[in-house]
Amino acid sequence: MRSRLPVLRMRRRYIAFEVDSEETVKPKDLGLEIISCQASLFGDKGASMNRIKLISFDGRFGLLRCSYSRVEESRAVLATIYSITGIRAAIRVKGVSGTIKAATEKYIPKLSLSIAETSAENDGRRIELDGVSGWIIHSHGREIDLSPDEKNRTKGSDTRYLGLTSFDLCGGCDDADGTADGLRQGDNCIQP
Amino acid sequence: MSYFESCLHSLPEGSDSPSKMATVARRLGYEGIIICNHTGFEKFFRPDAVREVKGIKVAFGIEIVANSPRSMRSRVASARARFPFVSVHGGSEETNKAACENPEVDVLFHPEEGRKVLGIAAARAARMNQVAIGFDLRPLIRLRGNSRSRWLEVVQRNLNLVRKFDLSMTITTGSRSCLDLRAPRELRALAEIAGFESHETEEALRYPARVLELNSRRWAGPGVEIL
Repeated sequence: MRSRLPVLRMRRRYIAFEVDSEETVKPKDLGLEIISCQASLFGDKGASMNRIKLISFDGRFGLLRCSYSRVEESRAVLATIYSITGIRAAIRVKGVSGTIKAATEKYIPKLSLSIAETSAENDGRRIELDGVSGWIIHSHGREIDLSPDEKNRTKGSDTRYLGLTSFDLCGGCDDADGTADGLRQGDNCIQP
Repeated sequence: MSYFESCLHSLPEGSDSPSKMATVARRLGYEGIIICNHTGFEKFFRPDAVREVKGIKVAFGIEIVANSPRSMRSRVASARARFPFVSVHGGSEETNKAACENPEVDVLFHPEEGRKVLGIAAARAARMNQVAIGFDLRPLIRLRGNSRSRWLEVVQRNLNLVRKFDLSMTITTGSRSCLDLRAPRELRALAEIAGFESHETEEALRYPARVLELNSRRWAGPGVEIL
C-alpha cells in the first residue's frame, strides 16, 4: 500500500525544458529517448533513484518530473540527448520548480501556439552567397535554416540544414541582401 | 558570469555560421565564445557578421592539426601572430607532448582522443609552459555503451594527472552545430558525471576568458609586459 505518512513522501522537482530540433518531435519518441539515455548513463539502479517521468510535451516545451535530490543528474541526462528517432535535437532546460503549476507559469510561455509545424518543404526562397547556396527551410526571427545544395556540407556535424542568420546575408554592398528573391534584413521582414 | 565556450567549429567546418553560433550561445547564457576551426578551415564564413550580434563576445581562434611535432611547431608559430587563441588537436602521444612543450600553445584539446593517457613528462611540461588541458565532452554526448565507459575511464585518469600537476583546464562540447551546444549548467552537470568537481568546472568555464585577456596584452617576453 502507498504510504500515507507525509514525512515519507518523496519530494519532487519539475524541470521545464524546450526542445530545439530540426523537425517536430513526437512526445512518445521524446519519452523513449529520455528513458534510453538515462538507462545508458546511469543504469537501472541510477534510473530508479532519478525517477524521471515526462509529464507533458507540446512539441516544443515540456515538463519533466524527477527526484528532488537528483536534479543535476537529470539535467545531465537531458544534455546527453543528441537525436530523437534520427532527428537532430537538443534539449534546453528553462528552469526547475517544485510544483507543476509554478514550473508552467514561470517557464513555459502561454502563447507557445505560434510554433509552426516545421516541415521539410522549402517555401521557394533561395539564398546564394559565396560558398553557400540553398533553399530556405524555415526562418525564425533572425535565424534561418537552409537546405544546402551540396549535401556533404553538413556531413561533419550530422545535421540536415545549415544555420545562418540574417546578419550573414548582407553582402559587401549595402543594397545587396545576398538573396535571389529579396529576403531583406530585419526582424519583421522574414516571414516563414 | 564570464563563461566561455572555447572550441566551436563553424562554417565551413561545421554547419552553422559564426553569427548563428553566437546568437544561440547568447541565448544559452554564455558571455562569449571562441570559434576554433581546425587547420584547413581557417577561412571563416562571414566573420564580420558576428559584430552585429550584441551581448556576446566572439573571438576567432584555431585548433591546429598536425601529423608530426615539427609541422605542429611551425603551424603554431605562424598561427600565434594571427589568432588570439591557439589550441592544438591532441591525440597521439607525440602531438600531446610537443603541444605541452610549446609555450605558444594556449590549450591542448582532447589529449585522450587516441585512448592514450597524457604522459607524466607531458603534464610536467604543460605545467612549465602554462598549457591548459581542454576536455572535450562530445564523446559523453555522442557515444553510448562500452566506448563511452572507456572514454570516461581515460578522462578520469587524465583528470587525476591534471590535479596532481595542478594544470589549468577547460571544458567544451566541441560543437559543430548549434544543436551540439549545451548551456553552462548542463555542461557542468555533464562534467560532474565525468568526475569533475564543482569548483573545477566553474574554473574551467572561466579559463578561456582569462587566456583571451592575457593574449590581448603585449608581452615583450615571459613576465614582461609593454605598457
